[in-house]
Amino acid sequence: MKIINKFREIISNKHEIARNWKKQGKPVIGWTCTYTPEEIIHAAGALPVRITGDLEGTKYADAYLPTNMCSFAKSCMDVALRKKYDYLDGFIASNTCDNYGKMYDVWRYHVKTRFNHMINTPHKNTGSSREFFYIELKNFKDLLEKRLGKKISGEKLKSSIRVYNENRRLLRKTYELRKKNPPVITGRETLEIVLSSTFTSKEEHNLILKQLLDEIEERSDLPEEKVRLLVSGGEIDIVEPIKIIEECGANVVADDLCTGSRYFWNIVEESNDPLKALTDRYLDQIPCPFTYQYQERFRHVMDMAKTFDVEGVILFPIKFCDTYLFDSPQLTEELKNQGYPVLNLEWEHSMTGVAGLKTRIEAFLEMIRG
Amino acid sequence: MSEKKIENPLQTMRGFYRKHVEPFYEEAHRAKKEGKPVAWVASTTPIEILHAMDIIAVWPENYASVCAALQTSLKLCQAAERKGFSKDLCSYAKCVLGSIYEPVSLPAGGLPEPDFLIAATGACDTHLKWFQVVSRIYRKPLFLLDMPYNVTGVDGDNLEKTWIEHYKKQITEMIEFIEKQTGKEMDKNRLKKVVELSNKCNDLWTEIMNYRKETPCPMGAREAFSAILFMLSFAGTKRAIQFYEELRDEVKGRVKEGKGIIENEKYRLLWDNLPLWYNLGLFSYLRQMGAVVAVEAFSLVWAGKMDPSKPFESLARKHIPNYSNSSIDRKIEWFTWLSKEYKLNGLILAGNWGCRMMSIGEIDVRDAIQERLGIPSLVLDVDAADPRNSDMERVKANLRAFVEMLGKKK
Repeated sequence: MKIINKFREIISNKHEIARNWKKQGKPVIGWTCTYTPEEIIHAAGALPVRITGDLEGTKYADAYLPTNMCSFAKSCMDVALRKKYDYLDGFIASNTCDNYGKMYDVWRYHVKTRFNHMINTPHKNTGSSREFFYIELKNFKDLLEKRLGKKISGEKLKSSIRVYNENRRLLRKTYELRKKNPPVITGRETLEIVLSSTFTSKEEHNLILKQLLDEIEERSDLPEEKVRLLVSGGEIDIVEPIKIIEECGANVVADDLCTGSRYFWNIVEESNDPLKALTDRYLDQIPCPFTYQYQERFRHVMDMAKTFDVEGVILFPIKFCDTYLFDSPQLTEELKNQGYPVLNLEWEHSMTGVAGLKTRIEAFLEMIRG
Repeated sequence: MSEKKIENPLQTMRGFYRKHVEPFYEEAHRAKKEGKPVAWVASTTPIEILHAMDIIAVWPENYASVCAALQTSLKLCQAAERKGFSKDLCSYAKCVLGSIYEPVSLPAGGLPEPDFLIAATGACDTHLKWFQVVSRIYRKPLFLLDMPYNVTGVDGDNLEKTWIEHYKKQITEMIEFIEKQTGKEMDKNRLKKVVELSNKCNDLWTEIMNYRKETPCPMGAREAFSAILFMLSFAGTKRAIQFYEELRDEVKGRVKEGKGIIENEKYRLLWDNLPLWYNLGLFSYLRQMGAVVAVEAFSLVWAGKMDPSKPFESLARKHIPNYSNSSIDRKIEWFTWLSKEYKLNGLILAGNWGCRMMSIGEIDVRDAIQERLGIPSLVLDVDAADPRNSDMERVKANLRAFVEMLGKKK
């Protein structure tokens, strides 16, 4: 299946894609959290890219960061210290977790991206928090206009919202392919599809997605029928964790990841006040656990488990990701009450301890098969 | 090895737990029985508002430190882990959750059940998460005070206007929430009085902290980490003023006599973050080497005078710049100032295994202070309440090597 490989290629070439974009004289802006309204960056004519880590270790970042922190964030920092992100014009972070929130400063001190900005993001979506976020987004727009020397008109913003919404709708359609048994695409392929959308222009990604949707049903290399799982967690920015699960004898057919369904699930209302529409969409999206309205994520997990007909759930936060780890016991209990077997695991970005993970996943799958 | 008697304990601090901590929890339990509203509050909650509304406010953080000091935190942490909470989470949170799940022979009879909870975003993510769990266990409502993050690390006089406005509205939302819980409106005159008392409390504490700038230092960390309880929990009440007046008098007397908290003071240190509550003897270990902790990073963070005519704005200026809610720039500026004011020889930056806020950025703080002032820092990998995350032999060896290094510098 040729088309499906395109997404993998985007991921392998992500730095090259960004550099080529720069060569055309257009800016590139890195972002870290799915509470960043990319549409504003897009409307400024810049390429928004998601900052992700890699498997090359963290010896540079270890010089500045402690052991007891999120290894995903640390890996991102290491990639930057290896100068792989030196094409960035701006680095945008959010105060949406203590890990990245505090690492933002360490990044500023040592990576020295041309400009840095933190979007002051409320932890709830009611009362004055909504007004506050609206003002913050306006400030963010003003900052980009100043830094990039481009006016972001209401019309431009509306048109960017349309492009992004199209991508979201196409990704929703792609997820439909996983409802079949066996699923038409694997969990690893799905992750590659979603991740790749954050490394290239949405216009291009939309084209490839449409082609995929036209052709994929006829693929000859359909995945085999295996145990159907949902994986829940935060940022899984590399395919290895999903790959390991699937190699143990499962199809990951649904997810609750911010590099998966939660990245695109909610649409922006196409209204006359685009900034207000973005405020609402980003604050009301299926939430990350750092928020007051955390239980809405549980509902998303339950809905997905049901509609994608899963046989079990793996809660797979990264080690030291406090907000997810605090949710895990309650989410486990609620899933079990609904009759879903649950496996709690923690992963580390370096993928150490894979043997131990495999053993536990295999035992879990065996239990499900009965 | 026989240790010389070199510590000069403060009379006011004698039996602090028995005299002040235990009775407070007894009172809270009694109030609960009498049907008075009890709230669980988190770090950076504006306590003055609660006092003005006659709410019995208990601090689960304080309770965790009590459990740790009484050597019961380990089994409580394990109880939380048995319920599925990761061992790498905040040990304060684990300790309090454990006390709910397995309430067996708890210090001070445990925490009284809350009628409602208030968390604020100013300290960390963990506070909200931990309180969400508690709120669900007891089926009691939780209010979140959504604070703007001090992105640029400015001080209280230089906050963005939009931050102050948002914060003020959050206070209004919080008051509305409490009024709904109690069915009683807040009395604005009462708040004015509380603010006046809070200012008096603040003046006394600041005065005490100023005496600690003297050489020899009249009061150390072991005393301060307990005494700060009144600033955190009782700012705005008469009991805080009574206690601080007594402490101030003693500390002032010490300065007059030229008598330090230890004999033969050689080195003055800063302690960042929390102490190892289960091993407060560590401060004596330092004292035996002639090292006194003259100031803690937290001790002055809670200080800040309020304008009785603008109480909400004052609270914004007091709490938003708390370094836990600020860019690391602020911590660097803050430590630079403290280092000069307290004439420090070294800084001890104690991380906390379950705390990202306290652990991330310590290396940059260390390097900045070294570069700016030539003052060295020691970064420690420890935990405030879970003794399994502090290798005591290594911690002691690190402290000894650090103090010896300071000796060579002198």
